Amino acid sequence: MQLQRLWLRDFRSYASAELTFAPGLTALLGANGEGKTNVMEAIGYLATLSSFRGVPNEALVRRGCATAVVRAEGERDGRQLLIEAEITTSGRGRVQVNKQRLARARDLLGALRVSVFSPDDLELVKGGPAERRRYLDDTLVSRQPKLDAVRSDLDRVLRQRNALLRQAGGRVTAEIDATLAVWDAKLVEAGEALGDARAALVDDLAPVLSAAYDQVAGRAAHVRLGYLAPWREAGLARALEDVRADELRRGISLVGPHRDELVVTLDDMPARTHASQGEQRSVALALRLAAHRVVTEATGSPPILLLDDVFSELDPDRSAALLAHLPPSQTVLSSAAGLPQGAEPELVLRVAGGTVAAADPGLS
Amino acid sequence: MTVYAGPVQDLIDELGRLPGVGPKSAQRIAFHLLKLPKDDALRLANAIAVVKDRVTFCHTCFNISEGERCGICGDPRRDTHVVCVVEEPRDIVAVEKTGEFKGRYHVLQGAISPIEGIGPDQLRVKELLARLEPEGIDEVILCTNPNIEGEATAMYLGRLLKPLGLKVTRIASGLPVGGDLEYADELTLGRALEGRRELD
Ligand SMILES: [Zn+2]
Repeated sequence: MQLQRLWLRDFRSYASAELTFAPGLTALLGANGEGKTNVMEAIGYLATLSSFRGVPNEALVRRGCATAVVRAEGERDGRQLLIEAEITTSGRGRVQVNKQRLARARDLLGALRVSVFSPDDLELVKGGPAERRRYLDDTLVSRQPKLDAVRSDLDRVLRQRNALLRQAGGRVTAEIDATLAVWDAKLVEAGEALGDARAALVDDLAPVLSAAYDQVAGRAAHVRLGYLAPWREAGLARALEDVRADELRRGISLVGPHRDELVVTLDDMPARTHASQGEQRSVALALRLAAHRVVTEATGSPPILLLDDVFSELDPDRSAALLAHLPPSQTVLSSAAGLPQGAEPELVLRVAGGTVAAADPGLS
Repeated sequence: MTVYAGPVQDLIDELGRLPGVGPKSAQRIAFHLLKLPKDDALRLANAIAVVKDRVTFCHTCFNISEGERCGICGDPRRDTHVVCVVEEPRDIVAVEKTGEFKGRYHVLQGAISPIEGIGPDQLRVKELLARLEPEGIDEVILCTNPNIEGEATAMYLGRLLKPLGLKVTRIASGLPVGGDLEYADELTLGRALEGRRELD
């Protein structure tokens, strides 16, 4: 969706705000802590129904309020779309599209897509495996919203199965055995589906990734991805049998997509441990760029690029390289330090003290 | 969190035990009740007392009932060979609205959910098994909710019932996944019942 207007009510620091966006590049400028990221987060919420900062939805509601509203107007396939999402501190949020309430909020997924770049992306390379699994799964859902159901089914199955393993306390009664067999089957169903989807995604990302790295870092290098899921060889059902005794002893699910790892190597060395900080930043940017391209390719239209304060962490060369190689699509960037070199926004918005005002793009 | 004097805190604690009521809501409801005219508040208390007095669960199918036997179990026109297994009495209302089902029901009173400490022993599974032979049941339709817990419960029951030589069917997919039966419209649920498939 091409985003045209955004309204916020009681969202984070905003009591109420209205913003307009350019079809190309919109820059949000303002000092740190004034609410630039909150705007990005609100756009991101409409894409995933969650915060890209990884906080629970309650945290998005302005302090002292019960409900936040994010409303966006834009165009998709030649049609005007009005999305209204209500976020509550208790219970489920509601979503309306063109004034029609969706049966499930989840049906919104796919209407508006985003690719988020943020300074925290360095964790994609430096952080633990959970960060990289999330990267894969977010990309999967952005590419194919249907997979969100598989992802949340798997989470739910794991929570149920872990609860059962804990209750068993190492002792397998006939009832526990019969119930565990059911959760095993459910885990296999969701786990195989997610594992297959991730492996296919990694295959699609791999060829795009090295090229993206070359563009960002300005030098040719081999960046490779490996999806480590040892259970996929013999299948998850078999793998579960093999760890049954261990799982019962430890009371936790030990095998499946929730334990897999995405290994990123730079010139055949693990980027997590063997790359310099600068190289790691380039790898992180390349991962985001590759995901953006793969999603664009699959869906036929580019997600909105949200560049949240990324330039503060990049040296001038990398900044310029990133800007030069971003695909031409709707982009919102935020910066506390003025416009990065080479950025030519169609629209500049100044953010200060919970308000947003349009400024002359000529002044920065 | 115990902050208020005896009776008020007792009320908050009791309300907080209700499904879907968190500590904050419990507090809000309690203060609402405190402000209410005495007659209005007692009407609520009375409604609870009467319902607990007069309405129980059917001894056969565990639907809500004013006697030992609910209206459906006592209706001679219903087909005794087919039983539709649901999670809650409210699901019976949803299936009845479709007009597609003429058999009897069995209410499990929940679904398998280890997180909530609910296993097969906490559900009315034994009672279902006990009905099969005496009632001459030859088809069991598993009509649990189309969410993870409902699917797991259906699978568990399927594995338990199939070896007994019964026809065991599951309502067709096509219902909003992850939802509850009661949110499905009559047409969709009717189609799901009609398109039920035999478990393998
Ligand atoms: Zn009955």
